[in-house]
Amino acid sequence: MFNSMFRRFAFAYGAAFALFYALAHARGLALFTVYPAQGIVLLGLHRSRDVADPVLDFLAPEMYWYGWTASAAVGALVVGIVAALLPARLSPFWVWCAWVVPPMAMIACAYLTIPWFRL
Amino acid sequence: MGTVILILHGLVTVALLGAITHQTLATCAPARAKPYSFFDRFRAVRGAGFTNAIVVLYVISWLLGAVVYLYFKVDVQPSLERDHHWHALGFFDLKEDFTAIGLGVLPAYWSCWHQPVDGRSYQLRTALTLLLAFIVWWAFLVGHVLNNIGGFGS
Ligand code: HEM
Repeated sequence: MFNSMFRRFAFAYGAAFALFYALAHARGLALFTVYPAQGIVLLGLHRSRDVADPVLDFLAPEMYWYGWTASAAVGALVVGIVAALLPARLSPFWVWCAWVVPPMAMIACAYLTIPWFRL
Repeated sequence: MGTVILILHGLVTVALLGAITHQTLATCAPARAKPYSFFDRFRAVRGAGFTNAIVVLYVISWLLGAVVYLYFKVDVQPSLERDHHWHALGFFDLKEDFTAIGLGVLPAYWSCWHQPVDGRSYQLRTALTLLLAFIVWWAFLVGHVLNNIGGFGS
């Protein structure tokens, strides 16, 4: 019983994490923003160029990756718990999701990276 | 401090790369006859025995990488940008994305290797193992290339 619930949780979590990560990256949904030079963490997404001259951007580089990962982890946790509580006959669906979604999300992330290769 | 953590990161990832490569070959190209060559012996291992080690090594590599990244952003990335290493930075961006997705897949991967295998879960287990192996190889090569271009300590 517990084993089968954990399996559903794990498959749904993996698929939802990948999906939410790609969405967070594409839409800028960071749970927090990290400013490593200052050692500051701010809730939500912040861009230093919105409050300071873009020329000074290098003084306060911001990092969203931690925030995207946290957003994906929280979203996936909710989906995973729901999947664990849903009937066991939905298991094949979660297995299918765990197969398909992570590679698709990786392709989506590769697409989002194209601008680096156009510079 | 950044350099010390980077060296630890590099060392742990070597162990991770070895473990996942053993497991992937044992899963996808198991040795049939009595192993004679190095390659045969390399893939003749029992794949399941590597799973816990891979999960632990992946999480430690990931955490150390996440800490090194803070130093990298401040000390290394500006000089890579100044020298127009855009492609290398693009590949690193993908490393960030792939390793995060790999972290999310770990519970499913672990669960696949700890359950009795029927047809469908055998395929999923092979697929997730291949996916993790790809992510680890990508992260390893990109990390090295970036460090060689002029990362920490240069
Ligand atoms: C989990 C799989 C990972 C593997 C296999 C891996 C592998 C490596 C390797 C082999 C190096 C080069 C080490 C050296 O030459 O001393 C490296 C460097 C690095 N890694 Fe990772 N890594 C992983 C995850 C991460 C993560 C999650 C991050 C954070 C985003 C990260 C950030 C870095 C950084 C910033 C460097 C230094 C690059 C430079 O020196 O310019 N790594 N990685």
